[in-house]
Amino acid sequence: MSEIGPLFTGGASPGAAPSQDNLLERLLQAEETIRAIHFGEVDAVVVNGPNGPQVYTLEGADHPYRVLVEQMHEGTVTLDPSGLILYSNPQFASIMGAAATSLTGSQFAQFLLPSDSSIFAELVEGATLRGHNSGELNLLTPDHNLIPVRVSLTLQNVAGMRNISVLVSDLREQIRNAEIVKEERLSRLILEQAGEAIVVIDPEGAIIRRSESARTLGGNSMLTLPFDQVFHLVAADGPLDCSRILESARAGLRLHGWEVSVRRSDGRVWALMVSTNPLWSESRELLGCVVTLTDITERKRAEDALARQAEELTRSNGDLRQFAYSASHDLREPLRQLVVFGELIHEKFSEKLGAEGAELIQHAVDSAHRMETLVKDLLAYMQAADAPQAMRPTVDANEVMAKTLVTFETQIVETGARIEWDPLPVLGVHEVHLVQLLQNLISNALKYRSEARPYIRIRAEPAGPMWKFNVADNGIGISPDYQAQIFGVFQRLHGGGKYSGTGIGLAICQKIVQRYEGRIWVESEPGRGARFQFTLPGGLL
Amino acid sequence: MKPEEMGGIRLLLVEDSPADVYLVQEAMRREGLHFCLEVADNGETAIQILNRVDADTKEPPPVLLMVDLNVPRKDGSEVVNRLRHSPRCGTIPVIMISSSDSPRDRRRAIDLGVTEYFLKPSGLAEFMSLGKMVRRLVTSFSTAA
Repeated sequence: MSEIGPLFTGGASPGAAPSQDNLLERLLQAEETIRAIHFGEVDAVVVNGPNGPQVYTLEGADHPYRVLVEQMHEGTVTLDPSGLILYSNPQFASIMGAAATSLTGSQFAQFLLPSDSSIFAELVEGATLRGHNSGELNLLTPDHNLIPVRVSLTLQNVAGMRNISVLVSDLREQIRNAEIVKEERLSRLILEQAGEAIVVIDPEGAIIRRSESARTLGGNSMLTLPFDQVFHLVAADGPLDCSRILESARAGLRLHGWEVSVRRSDGRVWALMVSTNPLWSESRELLGCVVTLTDITERKRAEDALARQAEELTRSNGDLRQFAYSASHDLREPLRQLVVFGELIHEKFSEKLGAEGAELIQHAVDSAHRMETLVKDLLAYMQAADAPQAMRPTVDANEVMAKTLVTFETQIVETGARIEWDPLPVLGVHEVHLVQLLQNLISNALKYRSEARPYIRIRAEPAGPMWKFNVADNGIGISPDYQAQIFGVFQRLHGGGKYSGTGIGLAICQKIVQRYEGRIWVESEPGRGARFQFTLPGGLL
Repeated sequence: MKPEEMGGIRLLLVEDSPADVYLVQEAMRREGLHFCLEVADNGETAIQILNRVDADTKEPPPVLLMVDLNVPRKDGSEVVNRLRHSPRCGTIPVIMISSSDSPRDRRRAIDLGVTEYFLKPSGLAEFMSLGKMVRRLVTSFSTAA
């Protein structure tokens, strides 16, 4: 910057007195300066005074331009070669959030972060070389906000002063607009590419937007057509038309997951799930309604097939139960008669039969008896899987235990058995099932006793939501080889002689426990007793 | 009741199993009951007998009905219902003989208003106890009449 300093230093500078030539040159310089000021070529002058450089702004002759600059939308500043702000219009001050007057005379560098400083320096260099330059950078406001701006730099070579005027355009609004455009574009893409068919209708029921996939449902040229003309949706309670959709929208209601059928132009019926959402403007004005249509034809078909299968299964299960019931009932009839007539023959003709004949008849009767028991047990097994489901049952296991022991009174006396039990819980099972379980397990413990006096101990402990029961005995035990197989139907480990039975008791136990999502197992070794364990859900009394 | 009087007393048995008919007869023999036991092996025949009794006053009406629930053509419950509408023998005792101990069948018998439910047992002695039941019901009905 060429300083005009000496002319305005005021008073004589200390040292040598100015020569004549020197004075003349200064006079010429002063005249040029005044001319420049007169024509508005100079905005400000810097005067080196005793208090350092001071800037004086000037009002030029071209006042209208000045007004234009003051009023324009962009910010503008004029910098001297050292980066000092000679002039700032109010808009620049406003962008930077500062008072216009406070900026003049301060360094422009205060608005630049180090990274932006170098950018700005390059821009200045370019402008100095070529007269003009422009670029984008961020300006730092006094309260530490970064403002993206576009700057246009112009070199002003005025009266030997190579100032730079900087036009500053605030890019924030532009960026905001770009973002809005981007969002709008994204919304459009979402609508175009959404897997679900989305249709937007206006308050009159005309289609104003639709997703690409809506076209497969409603055809190509659905835009601007009335919704009802494109879609003929039928819900369970009648047509789901536009007036119904808009009525609920006006009431501020959303329809959610309505299942409807729609007949397409090719005559095929599709199953759709419809959801609607009222579309409101910021000022709570109803703009229309967003209708989402999801094709659930395949799912519906699968559901229907599943329901049909379940129904068939229930029916065939029912048939099977009915069949098993009548079969076992009908099987018992002739067996009963066999037994009775065997006895009758034995009684009426024992003399004619003799000892051997009587024994043969007895075998026949025994066989019939055994078969009858088998059939009866089989029936019990089937009923174990088929007890009332409806109510949530509860039973106090202590009461069941006491009742069960009564049925074993004779055997307990005969064998001298000792049966002990800890306090037992309340269970969420039917009483009849717990009775069957305990009866079978205690009966087994008594039946498969060793030479020792039978000792049976029943305990229960919590196991998550279930109770784990433990029925331990000191009987003959079971080899690990057979521990899984004893829970099968008609599985017996012993011949009919010493240990009679049909081999269905434990199968019944397992069936019962499984009904309640519990399980049953045994831990045992031959000669060391058996510990039967099972789990059943707890209940509330 | 003297044996010679018994021949004139008519009982109706509705039972399709000859084996069980034999057992009912045996039970009565053992109890010394020599009533006139008329057997129908299906419900329809039984109803025809009741129709005849109602139509012809010369026919002696039965004093006891023994009926199996499961008989062909018309089942035991239809026979009992027809009996209850008979002007001549609508109030006689009824023994429902059944091989079913299902609560549903027992409930059905109670709803029909039968006097006794006799579950066919699988023991000779138990079956023979039917004779005593027949004696008791016939005696009490005859006395009341």
